[in-house]
Amino acid sequence: MTDNKLDYIDLDTYYQEKSPAEILEYALEKFDNIAISFSGAEDVVLIDMAYKISPERVHVFSLDTGRLHSDTYQFIEKVRQHYNIEIDVMYPEAEAVQKLVREKGLFSFYQDDHKECCSIRKIAPLRRKLLTLDAWVTGQRRDQSPGTRAAIPVIQEDQAFARPGATLTKFNPLANWSSSQVWHYIRSNNVPYNELHDQGYVSIGCEPCTRAIGPNQHEREGRWWWEEATKKECGLHAVNIEQVSK
Amino acid sequence: MKITLVKKIKADGSPCKKCNDVIQKLEESGNINKIDEILIADERDPASDGMVLANKLSVERAPFFVVEETGKDPVVYTVYFKFVKEVLDQETSDAAAAQEILNDNPDLDFL
Repeated sequence: MTDNKLDYIDLDTYYQEKSPAEILEYALEKFDNIAISFSGAEDVVLIDMAYKISPERVHVFSLDTGRLHSDTYQFIEKVRQHYNIEIDVMYPEAEAVQKLVREKGLFSFYQDDHKECCSIRKIAPLRRKLLTLDAWVTGQRRDQSPGTRAAIPVIQEDQAFARPGATLTKFNPLANWSSSQVWHYIRSNNVPYNELHDQGYVSIGCEPCTRAIGPNQHEREGRWWWEEATKKECGLHAVNIEQVSK
Repeated sequence: MKITLVKKIKADGSPCKKCNDVIQKLEESGNINKIDEILIADERDPASDGMVLANKLSVERAPFFVVEETGKDPVVYTVYFKFVKEVLDQETSDAAAAQEILNDNPDLDFL
């Protein structure tokens, strides 16, 4: 296990300097059983890059929470047709959704927080999908949320979703790209994009939890705006004893 | 097989809420008897047993479980429900497991 971790650290260090396309190329060469997670937003650039590397190796899945914008459904279909690829759309368990809605209504996330709903509609289907894979690719970027994504590696071992006794590798090829770099790629390469972006939506998730933002607002402000910024509680941070005692 | 649980004391000296929740669940289910050793990772003391073990195994969050078997590399579990299902071979709720994963990985909701 320690050896595996060292490998990931070395690989991440090496690929930190590489372009997203180079990271994707390595991922697609290294793993047969790998898929791209596509949210129906600007992470479409990953599909475009992968398609240019090897069209027959592009495997994509999307999480349909049942609450996406109509524009997002249309965009997912547009991408499917544009690249002539299969998109494996994952759905939440009907029973779990019914239980949540029966007990807490359709908008419980405004009263509690979004995590219970996200767990049922997004994380559980994601988990089901990842149990079938050896590696996955996300469009996560460091600049999306300084609070929770400040230290995203480009390659990491994904212990949370791995099959029992197996290793799952997670690639974040866009980790070091900024939003403007992503959009430069989209426009330079005529990549199709979700029309919600033209209406001021920067980060796109479920319809009730996403809103357009204004100039100079961080994209995180377009998601779950009624909640305080999430604080990480479970990290282990050694304190500098000398600093504390001063 | 030896099972070690590492729980955290936060930098301000307060106990970690999730660690307490996990221990409560272990006690309620009777599984606490299957834990051979509980170590403290005190964020104020890098030399505390739990911090040393976390550093050795490159674990960046707590609580976590370490399962050791003769002749095998130690296996680390940072997700409680995964540990219960895979090591203790007990059924767990998918919804509860998903929520624990999201709580521990808040960046995932942005997918």
